[in-house]
Amino acid sequence: MNVRVRFFAWLRDATGTEECWISLAPGATGRDAKALLVSRYQRLSGFLDRVRLALNQEYQTWEVPLHDGDELALIPPVSGG
Amino acid sequence: MKHLTTKPVLWDRVAYLGRLAASHGCGALVTFVGIVRGDWQGSRQVRALFYDAYAEMAERQVERLVAEARAQWSLEMATVQHRLGLVEAGGISVIVVVAAQHRAEAYAASQFLIDRIKQEVPIWKRQQYDDGTAQWTMGIQEVLAVAEPSGAVHAHV
Repeated sequence: MNVRVRFFAWLRDATGTEECWISLAPGATGRDAKALLVSRYQRLSGFLDRVRLALNQEYQTWEVPLHDGDELALIPPVSGG
Repeated sequence: MKHLTTKPVLWDRVAYLGRLAASHGCGALVTFVGIVRGDWQGSRQVRALFYDAYAEMAERQVERLVAEARAQWSLEMATVQHRLGLVEAGGISVIVVVAAQHRAEAYAASQFLIDRIKQEVPIWKRQQYDDGTAQWTMGIQEVLAVAEPSGAVHAHV
């Protein structure tokens, strides 16, 4: 299955892109996506400890199951206001 | 976008919402205005903040927070406007305008909204300094910048 991943703030700078698509095996979770992203963008290694996962624009745990066409986003600690 | 805007939020807007609340017979109006500070950090000064957001999610989240506030307190008005893009020091970054019959509800709802916005809504700020450098807030990116001598993290000024 293929899922879209979006990056914001310093994660966009670190990856050099606003979004990408990744291919995962059926049954994959957010944690699997995270591992794949760290292998693809090695600058992320060690910087995702405080990053949260959003799936289809809702916060989820890393254990959430993914489906084809999902939109993931890595959410760094927010700093609005 | 309903709650996010790339256009300047003007003081006139605050006055307009206040008059609107008064015309609806509200007894209490609490207005929170977030203003960009020109803080010094060592030898450089913040000249502006740049706000980035996961706009679709941020809109939904603010909408939900407003609905939560309305469910919890009896409010006549609850309006949030948060800036995206570049806001110069002294400019308005966010307004939360809450009106109710009595002040207790208005104060409580105002505090609830701005606190939860700052904790949960996917918006990020980058400090733009007067020496041309820029840095995302939080400190994680400082480590990232040190780890990457090319300084790519600071590239977007």
